[in-house]
Amino acid sequence: MIDRSASDARPDAASGTGRPAPASAGIFDPGLLDRCISCGFCLPVCPTYRLTGQETSSPRGRITLMRALESGRLADGDPTLAEEASFCLGCRACETVCPAGVRYGELLEQWRDHQWRGRRRPLLARLLMAVVSRPALLGLQRLVRRYATGKAGRRAVPGGADRPASLMLGCVERGLYPEVSRAVLELRPELAVPGGQGCCGALHAHNGDSAAGRELARKLGERLDGTIVTTAGGCAAHLAHHLGRDRVAELSEYLERTGYRPAGEVRVNGRRARVALQDSCHLRNALGVTRPPRELIAAVADYVELPNAGDCCGAAGTYSLLRPADSRAVLRPKLEAIEAADVDYVVALNPGCLRQLRQGLRRARSRAKAIHLAELLVMAARAANRSTPR
Amino acid sequence: MNMRGDLARDLAGIVGERHVRVDDGALAAHARDATPLFEATPQAVVYPGSTAEVAEILRYATANRVPVVPRGGGSNLCAAAVPLRGGIVMVLTRLNRILEISREELLARVQPGVTTATLAAAAAEQGLLYAPDPGSHTVSTIGGNIATCAGGLRGLKYGVTRNYVLGLEAVLPTGEIIRTGGRLWKDVAGYDLTRLLTGSEGTLAVITEATVALLPKPKESGTGVAYFASLADASRAVTAVIAAGIVPATLEFLDHKCIAAVEEFAKLGLRLDAGALLLFGDDGEADAIARNLDRIGAICTEIGALEVTLAEDVARADALLAARRCSLPALSRLGPLTVLEDVTVPRHRLAEMVDRIDEIADRYELRIATFGHAGDGNLHPTCVLDPHDHAAIERCHKAFAEIFSAAIALDGTITGEHGVGAAKLPYLEERLGTDQVALLGRIKRAFDPAGILNPGKLGS
Repeated sequence: MIDRSASDARPDAASGTGRPAPASAGIFDPGLLDRCISCGFCLPVCPTYRLTGQETSSPRGRITLMRALESGRLADGDPTLAEEASFCLGCRACETVCPAGVRYGELLEQWRDHQWRGRRRPLLARLLMAVVSRPALLGLQRLVRRYATGKAGRRAVPGGADRPASLMLGCVERGLYPEVSRAVLELRPELAVPGGQGCCGALHAHNGDSAAGRELARKLGERLDGTIVTTAGGCAAHLAHHLGRDRVAELSEYLERTGYRPAGEVRVNGRRARVALQDSCHLRNALGVTRPPRELIAAVADYVELPNAGDCCGAAGTYSLLRPADSRAVLRPKLEAIEAADVDYVVALNPGCLRQLRQGLRRARSRAKAIHLAELLVMAARAANRSTPR
Repeated sequence: MNMRGDLARDLAGIVGERHVRVDDGALAAHARDATPLFEATPQAVVYPGSTAEVAEILRYATANRVPVVPRGGGSNLCAAAVPLRGGIVMVLTRLNRILEISREELLARVQPGVTTATLAAAAAEQGLLYAPDPGSHTVSTIGGNIATCAGGLRGLKYGVTRNYVLGLEAVLPTGEIIRTGGRLWKDVAGYDLTRLLTGSEGTLAVITEATVALLPKPKESGTGVAYFASLADASRAVTAVIAAGIVPATLEFLDHKCIAAVEEFAKLGLRLDAGALLLFGDDGEADAIARNLDRIGAICTEIGALEVTLAEDVARADALLAARRCSLPALSRLGPLTVLEDVTVPRHRLAEMVDRIDEIADRYELRIATFGHAGDGNLHPTCVLDPHDHAAIERCHKAFAEIFSAAIALDGTITGEHGVGAAKLPYLEERLGTDQVALLGRIKRAFDPAGILNPGKLGS
């Protein structure tokens, strides 16, 4: 039997005289946390809210949870806090529709710093972070660099712009997709590829160690001369945050800035290929870069805009490894859109997305193939070379 | 077993375990809506999946005297969805299907959890228009719109939500399912319960289905912008436009503080040196639009506009309207606590009201930015505050009490479209008088004898 006057009811500040200033735990930057006005404009663009329809898995709900953690209203070990800090993809789509200017990505980093401190961090994330923090452990760096650059190796030379530019190899990409860096160098041979490149630290920042994330970004900034050119949207956003926007250029930006003119055409079965794009979340949502990759694709193929090109594919860094079922659920509408669009290729701008799309398309037995933008452009350029009479 | 455990078990018996939340995190997340300064924690959150489940939950709640607060997108701005007395927050977003769109009958039948923008887009696909368009249309739900009689940017020409609700299916707190109105434009059988439930703020019944009127979608639209030295000048232009016999689809204004905040977010190249911006627009046939916009522009110039320009294309017009929609959240860039009000006065008294707001803001040393639906006389004075400055928050409450009184003195009202909720309940009697407030209470008790539905709000 339930009584309305039960002590469980807690009208907190219903008088309209303002909340008392909560005691702060110092987990979050209070200025950042105050910014959200709970208007809910973020709900319709949040992939996890779309999956569950529950307030707690929306950006607004998560910020309410962060506030409750900060004020002590929710206990440190609260299971909903743990679950939602992990369930969030960190895609930052919410930031693009937030008129109040909430910097959700930073809040999430601070949340995970606290939530995933020390041994609370998922084991898999800890392992990955340990590996990429020690490039030597990968044991591949030199090999990759040689493979990517050809035998001679390269020196820093002025890039197409007035300043030198260096290609960042990327810790995940150099292991999984060294052919992407190789393709970039075929397009832009002037890029320097310095050795001893570590991880940019995005992985750490997104997995509860923003201090290490910042430090790794700083180190990489010292190691790489001039403009840092990256084939990973996620790394671009992380580096831009710590080193300054003008130090970093994602590949499509760099190509545009240096006046790259795509050559040739990608053809499939005797016709111009139909090619779609998967935006990189952080490239789109944090850096606002959406036009250059589309224009580059449209120059060498028939560009097809997916209705959900800007939605997260579910890769989300370590997410696809830590939460495989949720990751696949986020990917599903994307795969459906790709099938409906009947495309030959889907271009990715980030190695995580590339891996996610390749796996998903394979599982779905799709005829579409996922490739990196650099690979698509090289394919076109090679076709142009072949057809040019010598 | 404790109370929360009982509730969890009993509700799970109705909707299934997956659709009940009693964890502290979920309860915290449903302790508030989009209204600042109001919070109260429920004991359970439930997501029913059918009208029958809604009915069973309400029967259970009445039998056990547990409060139930219905909720849609949670974008409410008067604390109507805050569970003041605890109990169950009933979220209706699982009921999110568009059941029917009829071009022959110009109507749609929808479940309450469909968002306003989703319905508008589905109607547009069929060449139809769902006219009410509150600023929060991407997140607000039709159920919530009806429960608060939401307004929007097209109110002047097209009216507000109540003008489009033809019929409702609703569940009474005692569990009976009623169907009011229907598919008819003419129907006077009995008291107009459809209208009564529209704007009842979840205190009389839970809306589980709505039949709403659609219009043929206007072929073209056009938008223009006029800058003025002051909001009072812009208000005079609005009065002059209507007096000239023009009823455009859009007449919105922003003062200079809002222009600056919106510009920072939307980067549209708005003029930052002006005291006010008037956004005007019309839809229909191209030549009629051109004629109306030209006449409005000429009137603005006559009143002393600093500059009048017409948007060159649809994209620019859409961007201007979208920017206007986000005025409130954009204002929060100036200070994280924004207390927004909703006073409405007869159109020809707008300039007086605007002056009164400025005078009150100065006297209480508050930063109040004003924007609103000028064509409807509907103002949104918004006080921008530091959440930790308790003295200023106290002054803000006093200032708004005076603003409400000023509006009533000008034959206006304390709320045009946001609702009374918990936020404006203390001022309701000043607006309605003792007898009417007492009648509200009797109506409430007729629907909800146990007083379980959204207690502490209208009629309680």
